[in-house]
Amino acid sequence: MIWLGSGIIYRALIGCILAGLLTGLIGVFAVRMKLSSIGFCMSHAAFAGAALGVATAINPLFTALIFSSSTALLIGPVADKARLHADAITSIAFPLTMALAFIFLTWSPSIGLTSEVGSILWGSILSILNSDIVYMVILCAVSLTLIILFWKELFSIMFNRKLAEADGINTKPFIYFIIFLIGVVVTLSLKLVGGLLIFALLYNPASTALQFLHDMRKIIVAAPLIGVTTCLAGFLLSLILNLPVGSSIVALSTIIFAIAVILSPKRRRFKG
Amino acid sequence: MFRDHVIRLVNVSSTYEGERRAAIKDINLTIERGELVYIVGPNAAGKTTLLETINGLLIPVKGTVEVLGLDVKREGVRVRCRVGYVPQDFIVDPGEPYTAFDVVLMGMYGKMGILRKPGWREREKCMEVMALLGVDNVADRPMGKLSGGQQQKVMIARARVKEPEILLLDEAFSNLDMESRHRIPGLIDQLHRERGITTLIVTHDLSHLLDGCERMIAMDKGRIIADGRPGDVLSILERLTSYPRVEVIG
Repeated sequence: MIWLGSGIIYRALIGCILAGLLTGLIGVFAVRMKLSSIGFCMSHAAFAGAALGVATAINPLFTALIFSSSTALLIGPVADKARLHADAITSIAFPLTMALAFIFLTWSPSIGLTSEVGSILWGSILSILNSDIVYMVILCAVSLTLIILFWKELFSIMFNRKLAEADGINTKPFIYFIIFLIGVVVTLSLKLVGGLLIFALLYNPASTALQFLHDMRKIIVAAPLIGVTTCLAGFLLSLILNLPVGSSIVALSTIIFAIAVILSPKRRRFKG
Repeated sequence: MFRDHVIRLVNVSSTYEGERRAAIKDINLTIERGELVYIVGPNAAGKTTLLETINGLLIPVKGTVEVLGLDVKREGVRVRCRVGYVPQDFIVDPGEPYTAFDVVLMGMYGKMGILRKPGWREREKCMEVMALLGVDNVADRPMGKLSGGQQQKVMIARARVKEPEILLLDEAFSNLDMESRHRIPGLIDQLHRERGITTLIVTHDLSHLLDGCERMIAMDKGRIIADGRPGDVLSILERLTSYPRVEVIG
C-alpha cells in the first residue's frame, strides 16, 4: 500500500503534470504536421536504447535518450534526401529499432524484460526519480521558450507547409526541430505510460482539442491542459481501482476523445 | 520602357517527385520588370510547373532560374519573400482551426523575418487588403467555412499583403462569382499599373483578359509554343489544329 503523503506519490503526480503538459503540447504539432508515426518510432528507438544501456551497464535513460534523439535527427534529413514524407522513413526506421532492441536484449538474457527495460516498455510511474522531474522541467522550459519564439513560423507550417515555403519561410529546420522535440518528449515521458502506450498521450489530447476549437492559439493551450487532466485523473483512477497506471491514463484519454467526437460542434453547420 | 529582367530561365526542365517525364522541358524565358503576362494552355501543359519553378518550390533538374537577380536554387527563400503566389484550387477543409484573417496575416511572415512578431501595423495592413478584396467582413470566420470564391479572395489577399515585386496567380479567378470575376481581375490590373508589379497569370479561360496584358505565352506538353502579343498568340493558336481551342469571351 502506497501512503498518499509519500514522496513517491508526489513525484508521480508531478511526473503526470509534466508529461501531460509536454505530450499534449508537442502532440498538437505531431497531429497538425501529420507526423503520426514519429511517436511510435521514437518510443521503440528509446526502448532499443534502454536495452543497450542495460546490456552495457550504462544508465538506460541516457542511452534511450541518445537513441531516440539520434533517430529523430536522422528522420527529417533522410526523408528530404529520399524525397519521401517523414512518415515513410519512420515506418522504415521503426522495425529497425525493434530489431536492434531484440539484439541488445539477447546480450543480457538474464535481465530480459523484467527490469528497467520493461519499465520503459510498460511504464513505471512510481519509479520516477527526482532527476527525471528535473529533466522534464528543463525540457518544458526549453520547449515552451522555443515554441513561443518561433510560433509565427510553426503556426504557418501547421496550416500548410507548401504555402509557408511559398511565403518565404524555410520550413526544414522547423520540421526537424519538431521531430527532435517529439523524440525527446517521448523518451522522457516513457516512465509514465510506457513505450507501447505513449502515442495515445501524444495524439489524443490534440485530437480532442481539435474537436471543439476553431482557433489554433486556443488549441495549443487546451491540448496540454487536456493532457495534464487526463494524466492526473488516470493516475488517481489507477490508485482507486488498482489498475496499471499507463493503461488507466490511455483508456481515460481515449474515452475523453470519443466523447469529444460525439459532442463536437464542428459537425454542426456554421451560422453567420 | 521596361528596365530590367526580373525573371530569367535558361534551358530549364523540371520534374515532379516520382515522375520520369519532365513537366516542363528546355524552357528559355525572360520576363521584364512590370510586365503583365498571361500563360495559357490545356491541362498538363506545364503552366503550374512553370510558376512553381519560378518561385523555387520546384527545383529544376536542368538549367538555371534567376529571379530578382537571385539564383532560385540557392536563394529560394529570399526570392519567395518578395514573390506573392496564389496556388491553384487551394480549398481549406471546414475543420481547419484558422480564421481568414490568420491566413492573410501569414502571407507576411516570411518577409517579416524570424523572431519578429506581427504588430498592429501588420494587422491593419491585413484588414486594408481584405477590405480591398471584399473579404474584411469574414476576417474572423474559420477559413474552411467560407465559400470557394471567398477562400480564393483570401488567398489573393494573402499573396498581395506582403507587397510583392512579382505576383504569380495560378487559376486565381476560377472559383469567383460573376461580380468578382470582373472586379478582382480589375484590382490586379490596377495594382499592376499603379505599382508596376510584374504579374504572371496562369489560366485556361481568357474571359477576363486584362487591359494591361501585352504579352501572352502559350504552352503545350511542357514547352512554350508561342510567345508574343495576345492577339498574335491567339491567331497562332487558332491555326494549330492539334491545340485545344482557347476560349475568349467578352
